[in-house]
Amino acid sequence: MSEYEATGRTLDEAVEKALVSLGIKKENAIIEIKDEPSQGLLGFIGNKNARVCVKPVLDPPEYLKVYLEELLRYMNIDGRITVTEEADKLDAAIFGQEVGALIGRRGRTLNDLQYILNIVMRRQYALLNKMIVLDVENYRLRREKVLTNLAMSVARQVSQEGYEQALEPMTPQERRIIHIALQSYPGITTYSAGEEPFRKVVIAPH
Amino acid sequence: MKQLLEHIAKALVDEPDHVEVRQVESERLIMLELRVAPEDMGKIIGKQGRIAKAIRTVVSAGAVKNDKRVVVEIVQ
Repeated sequence: MSEYEATGRTLDEAVEKALVSLGIKKENAIIEIKDEPSQGLLGFIGNKNARVCVKPVLDPPEYLKVYLEELLRYMNIDGRITVTEEADKLDAAIFGQEVGALIGRRGRTLNDLQYILNIVMRRQYALLNKMIVLDVENYRLRREKVLTNLAMSVARQVSQEGYEQALEPMTPQERRIIHIALQSYPGITTYSAGEEPFRKVVIAPH
Repeated sequence: MKQLLEHIAKALVDEPDHVEVRQVESERLIMLELRVAPEDMGKIIGKQGRIAKAIRTVVSAGAVKNDKRVVVEIVQ
């Protein structure tokens, strides 16, 4: 993220303009004053605008890492955190001996924490257009395998018995894994039914 | 526990200086009262309470170790 130079009649006005343009908050800004405003003769001849240069203290990946490190410290959990920046997302991964509490039952804590991270990052960086994806001890990867296996075995049953079957409620990401796994499975079709957060995938004969 | 909730709440609001958490502890229960600036209430609760629910999940996960139930109250 780069710096931004702005001018205004007062210092506050110039700083505010720069912060809005960068989409960051004052707490996360380094403000350099280039020109102090000054009143000219009679208040209008030779007035000089304030000029400031503003840049963020931490860029988004750094902020996310520090935020998670502090969170783990307050939770009393030992963990190693990495944040990788991709074109469309920030990947945060946590590894450690005792990080299971961060996953929770069926990944509920993991998903809720990921939700909070996405909102925190949007609040801190209004212009950030990247999703935050959080994983703990490769839970998402392992879950993907479990869901794919489940999809295959239910699909087999449905195509043998000819009755549709609904799976348990899942998050959009999890439902997507099922749909993709069965995309080209012969003789069956998949769709989602119900309202969030109880929306489920239904596997039906074609 | 108090610090955990403060850490989460402060990053969500516009006025972090107005975030205040009071911790009341009994034998089996930790009660956390969260106060934020009135304008920030919506930012901490979210649509249909979704943010508040997520905060509760994460704070509860932080309490697993000390064997007590945690209740987060958002107070006006």
